[in-house]
Amino acid sequence: MAELLLELGVAVAGLAAAGLLARRVGLSVIPAYILAGVLLGPNAPTEWLGLSTALVGDREFVDVLAELGVVFLLFFLGLEFSVDQLLRDRRKITAVGVVDFALNFGLGLAIGVAFGWTLVETLFLAGVVYISSSAVVTKSLIETGWIANDESDPILGTLVFEDLLIAVYLALLAAVTGGGGLRSAAVSVGTAFAFLGALAGVAWYGAGLFERAFDTDSDEQFVLRVVGVTTVVAGAALALGVSEAVAAFFLGTGLSQTSHVERIEHVVAPARDLFAAVFFFAIGLATDVTLVAGVLGLLAVAVGLTTLGKLVGGVLSGRVYGLDRRRSLRVGLALVPRGEFSLVLVALAVEVGTGRLGGVLPAFTVGYVLVMSVVGSVLVGEADRVTDLFARPGE
Amino acid sequence: MTVYETDVPGVGKKFEVELDGDQRLVVLVHHDGKREVFHKDGPDADAQRLFSLSGDRARKVGAILQGAYFQPVETDSVDVPLGDAIIEWLDVNPDSPVAGRTLSGAKLRQQTGVSVIAIQRGAETIPNPSPDDTIAAGDILVTLGTRDEQAAVEALVAPEDG
Repeated sequence: MAELLLELGVAVAGLAAAGLLARRVGLSVIPAYILAGVLLGPNAPTEWLGLSTALVGDREFVDVLAELGVVFLLFFLGLEFSVDQLLRDRRKITAVGVVDFALNFGLGLAIGVAFGWTLVETLFLAGVVYISSSAVVTKSLIETGWIANDESDPILGTLVFEDLLIAVYLALLAAVTGGGGLRSAAVSVGTAFAFLGALAGVAWYGAGLFERAFDTDSDEQFVLRVVGVTTVVAGAALALGVSEAVAAFFLGTGLSQTSHVERIEHVVAPARDLFAAVFFFAIGLATDVTLVAGVLGLLAVAVGLTTLGKLVGGVLSGRVYGLDRRRSLRVGLALVPRGEFSLVLVALAVEVGTGRLGGVLPAFTVGYVLVMSVVGSVLVGEADRVTDLFARPGE
Repeated sequence: MTVYETDVPGVGKKFEVELDGDQRLVVLVHHDGKREVFHKDGPDADAQRLFSLSGDRARKVGAILQGAYFQPVETDSVDVPLGDAIIEWLDVNPDSPVAGRTLSGAKLRQQTGVSVIAIQRGAETIPNPSPDDTIAAGDILVTLGTRDEQAAVEALVAPEDG
C-alpha cells in the first residue's frame, strides 16, 4: 500500500510540477502532462543525471483514473455542447465543419494511404490529425482576446461540429474495432447506435428527471451523484461493447438541458481536471519515445500538411462568415493545436493494439500533439506577423 | 439598442452591446463567475480588453452602473417607524458640548424632546441608560423622537459638522 500511495503521489506531484513549468513558458499544459508521464514512466529515458526516473510503473490505479479522465473529458464536451447554437447557425456551422473535415480528415486519409497503412489504421490516423483541441483552442481565444472578435464565431462553430463528429466517429471506431469480421462489426455498430440512440433519447426527453435527480443543497451530494451516474453509464456502455466516452458525451448533453450546468462546471470540473491530467500522464507512461524517432518522416509530413490544412480551411471558413482575409487566416491559426481528442482516439487504438495501432500510432500521436501544440501557440502568438504576410497584397 | 448573446462552449456566455456609432462593448461571463469586458472601436477593429472582474466585484460595479448603488437611500425606509417617532443613531464627537456630561446634565429630553434609549460604546451597548450615566466622546446615542426632535438633538449633540 505504501508503495502504491507513493507512486500516486509522485505522479500527481510530477503533474503539478509539469503544469507549473508549462504555465511559466506559456505553453499548453497538455503536452507538459504527457512529458511528465514519459519522464516518470518505465519507458526510456529512465535515467536523468544518473538517477532513475522510472518512478511510476504501469499501475492499475493509473489506468482507472485515466479512464475516468476520458469519460469526464467527453462528459464535459457534451455538457458544453450547444445544441441551440448548432441549430441556430446550422447552415454556417455545417459549411465550415464540412470544409474543415474534408480538408483535414482527407489529408489524414491521404497520408495513411501514402505510407501504406491499413484501412483501420488510416481511419485512426485521419481522426488524430483532423480534430483540433477544444481545450487549447478556447483557452488561447480567451488569452488573445479574439473571443470578443468576429473570428471567434467560425472557430467555435468548427469546434462544435468537430465535437459532434468525433463523438459519432468514436462510436463507429469502437464498434468496428470490436473484433470479428464485417458482419460482427455491423452488429456491433448496430448495438452501439441503438444504445446511444436510447441514451440520446433519455438525454433529450429526460431533462425533467435529471433536474430532480441532481437537485440537492449539498455540494458533496451533488458531486457524488454526478460522478456516480456518469461512471455507471460509462461502465454499462463499455460492458455492452459501446464506447464509454460517447455514452458520457450523451449524458453530458442531457444534463446541458438542465439548470445544473453551472454547478457542474463549479463542483465537478476539479474532478475532471484531476482525472484528465492523469489521462495525459498515462498516455505519456505508455509512450516509448524511441518509437517517435522511427516515425519522424511521417511526423514531418503530417505536421506540415495538416497545419496547412487548418490554415486553408480557416481561410475558407472565414469567407463563409464574411470575414476579411486577416480574420479568416486567424480562424485557421487558432485551430492548429491538437490535443485531448486525438489522444482519446489513441487510447482506443491502444486497447485494440494490433499492427501499428499499439505502438507506432501512439508514439506518432504523442509527437504530433507535442509539435502541434507548440506550432499552434507560436502561430497564434505571431498572428499579426503571419497575417500581415498574407493580407497585405490583397487589402 | 441591440444585445447579441452567444454561448461560448466551455467558457460561458458572450454578450455584445451596440454603443454609439459602430463601437461595441463585449462582455464575457465565464462559468466560474469571472467577467471580462472588451471594447471594439468599430466592426473591423480588434477587441481591446478593458478589465476583468470577479463575480462579486462585477455585481457591485453592475449596481453602480445601474445607478442603484449611488442612489441616496430614502430615510423612511431605513428608520424604524414607530408612529410619528423614528430611531436615529448619533455620533458624539470629542468636541461635542454633551461629551463628558451625564444624561440628566445634558438635558436632551428637556431641550429637544427625544429620549435616549441606548448608548453604544465600542462593542458594548448600554440599554435604557439611567440619568446618571455619562456620555463619553466616541459614543453613539440611540435616540427616539419625531423628525423635528431628531433634527434638534442632532444640532445640539453634533453642531456644525453634521
